[in-house]
Amino acid sequence: MNNLDFDFNGETLTAQVAKSQNSFTVSFGDKEVQLEPLGDNLYAVSLNGTKYQAAVVASQGKYFVDIDSMLFEISDPQAETVAGGSGGHGGEKDKIFAPMPGKIVKLMVAGGDVVKEKQAMVIVEAMKMENQVLAMANGKVKAINFGEGDQVDTETPIIELELDE
Amino acid sequence: MSKNIQKILIANRSEIAVRVINACQAMGIKSVAVYSDADENAKHKMLADEAVHIGEATPQKSYLDIEKIINAAKETNADAIHPGYGFLAENRLLAERCLEENIIFIGPSSDAINLLGNKVESRIIMADAGIPLIPGMKKSETDIEVYKKAADDCGYPVMVKAAAGGGGKGMRVVHTAEEIKDAVEAAKREAKNAFNDDRVYLEKYIVNPRHIEFQILADTHGNTIHLFERECSIQRRHQKIIEETPSVAMTDELRTRMGADAVRVAQAADYVSAGTVEFLLDESGHYYFLEMNTRIQVEHPITEMVTSVDLVIEQIKIAQGESIEHLKNIRQSGHAIECRIYAEDGENNFMPSIGQILHYSEPSGPGVRVDSGVQKGTDVTIDYDPIMAKLVVHAPSREIAISKMIQALHQFKILGVKTSKKFMVDILLHDKFISGETYTDFIEKYMSDRKDLADEYKELAVALAAVSASSGTASNSSTQTSDKIATPWQLLGAIQIGDSIHE
Repeated sequence: MNNLDFDFNGETLTAQVAKSQNSFTVSFGDKEVQLEPLGDNLYAVSLNGTKYQAAVVASQGKYFVDIDSMLFEISDPQAETVAGGSGGHGGEKDKIFAPMPGKIVKLMVAGGDVVKEKQAMVIVEAMKMENQVLAMANGKVKAINFGEGDQVDTETPIIELELDE
Repeated sequence: MSKNIQKILIANRSEIAVRVINACQAMGIKSVAVYSDADENAKHKMLADEAVHIGEATPQKSYLDIEKIINAAKETNADAIHPGYGFLAENRLLAERCLEENIIFIGPSSDAINLLGNKVESRIIMADAGIPLIPGMKKSETDIEVYKKAADDCGYPVMVKAAAGGGGKGMRVVHTAEEIKDAVEAAKREAKNAFNDDRVYLEKYIVNPRHIEFQILADTHGNTIHLFERECSIQRRHQKIIEETPSVAMTDELRTRMGADAVRVAQAADYVSAGTVEFLLDESGHYYFLEMNTRIQVEHPITEMVTSVDLVIEQIKIAQGESIEHLKNIRQSGHAIECRIYAEDGENNFMPSIGQILHYSEPSGPGVRVDSGVQKGTDVTIDYDPIMAKLVVHAPSREIAISKMIQALHQFKILGVKTSKKFMVDILLHDKFISGETYTDFIEKYMSDRKDLADEYKELAVALAAVSASSGTASNSSTQTSDKIATPWQLLGAIQIGDSIHE
C-alpha cells in the first residue's frame, strides 16, 4: 500500500496504490481504478465498468497523461514547483505576457494609453500564426518592454499596466 | 522525352519529407534530405539515404533559401527535387532554377505555378474559361476606400485574402465596414511574412459553404484526369483539420460536372503533375472556383485510400515523362477520413504547443495509416508549421470510418505537447457531423459550447500518475522502444479498431 496526494485543478486527491501480479488498483475512498500495464507507457484502465486506453509518462516533475484522447498534466507532489514555471500568468492582470515564445509583429498601444479589458494590446507571431494578446483589466500603459520585431518569451512581460482602482 | 530519376532531393521537412522518402524507397530511387539546425535529430533526416545541412532554423535561412537547396542537389548529384507542400512548393523561382541547372522539378512548370499562384490573374483566366467564380475585387489595391467600396458592392460579410496565399495565412472574414482597415492590415502583415508578398484583395464570403476540392493528375502526353473530390469543410482559423472523401454533399451528377470543371481549370493553365482544384459549394448546389494548388496537398492520403493510387509515385512518374493513361478508369471505393495532428491545444483556442515528445505510439491495423514527421525525442519548436502527423482511416462506409477514426485517435498517444485529439473526437461524435451538415463554420457554430469533462476523468488521471510515480519504470522512458509497438491494444482483444475487413 502506498498513499500519494495529488493536486487536480486545486482539489487534493489521495490515491492509494495496490499492486497485484499483473495489474494495479488505485483507490480514492470507495472509487477504484483498475490499471493493466501494456508496456511502453501504455495502460488499459477502467473505472465503474468503463474501459479506457491510456498512456502516462513522467518528465521534470510532471505526469503527462492521455485517457481516450483527454490530455492532462499533473504535478508530482514530491517535486518542488518552480515559481513562475510553465504555467499561465493568470493572477497578474497588470502584466501582459506572450502566450508562447514568438515575435512581436505589432504593438497596438503606446506608453500612457488608457486601455480597456479585452482590448488588443500586441500581436505575437508564432508558428506562422498571429495571436492577439488582450488586456485582462482596465488600466493605463505604464511600460512597454519590447519593440516590434523583437523575440519574446513567456516569462518577461511585454507590457505593464497600471490598473484602475 | 523520358528520363529515369536516380536520386531525389526533398526540399522539405517533417511528415511530407518522410512521405516522399517512402515513395522513393518504393521506386528504388535514392533520397536526399535537407535539414536546418532545428532538425538535427529529425525523422526525415534519419530516414533519407543522405542528408545535407542547409542552415539555421529560421526558414528564410534554410528551407526557403533556393540557392542552398540547389547547391545541396548539385553536391549530392540529385537529378530531381521534390518540394513537398509549403516552403518552396509553389515558388516559381525554384522551378526555374531547376530548369537552368538541368534538375527535374517534380511539380508543374514555373509558368503554371506563376499563373495559379496569383489568385488575381488566375481568376481572370478561369472566368474566360467559363469556370464559376465568387464576386469580388479583381486585384490588390493600395487605397483602403477601394476595399470598402468593393465590400459594399458584394455585401457583408466579405473575406480578405492574400493574392499569393494558401493554407489560411493572410485570410480574414470581415462583418462590418469598421473592421475593414484592421483586417486588411493584419492580412497584409501575415501575407508578407508567409509569402513575402503583401498583396491582398477581398470578395464575397459565401455563407454555409462546403470546401470541396478535386485531385488532379496531368501528364506531359496531354492526359488530364481528376481522382474525385475531398471535402475539407472542418476548419479552424481557415485551416483544415478533418478531411474526408467522398463528400456527403456529392451526387454522381454534381461530381461529374465539378470534376469536368476541375479538369478544365488544370487544362486552362497547361498544368502538368499533381494539383488540386478547390471549390466552395453552397447549399443550393452552386459551386465557385477558389484556387488551384500547384502541389501535393496535406490531405492527399484520403484520395490514395479510396482510389489505391499512390499520388507521390505518380508525380514522380509524370516528372520522368511517363503517361497516366492507365489511371483513366479509376474508381472510388469506401470512405476515408483524415485527422491532422497538430501540436496545439484543442482545449485552449488551438494555441500552438511546443516541447519535446516524451512518448509516441501510433495506432495500426487494416485501413489505418499514419503519415508522421515526429517520433519520441523530437523537439517541436516555434520555427515551423505545427503539423506533427496525419491519421487516416479507410472503411467500407462513412459510419464505420467515423468509429474507426475515433478508436484510432484514442490509440494515437503523443505526450509532451498538446494536441487537438479530444476536440476532433468530439467533432466526429457530433450529431451534425454524423448527419453530414459539415459547413466551413462547423467549429465556430457547433464546437464553442463544449462541456469541460476534465472533472469526470480526475480519478483516472491521478491513478495513472500515481502508478507511474510508484512503479518508476513506466515513467522513466529511457529504454529504447520501437514506435511500432502500437499493437498492445489489439493483443488485449477487448478493444478492436472498427471493422476487420480486408483492405
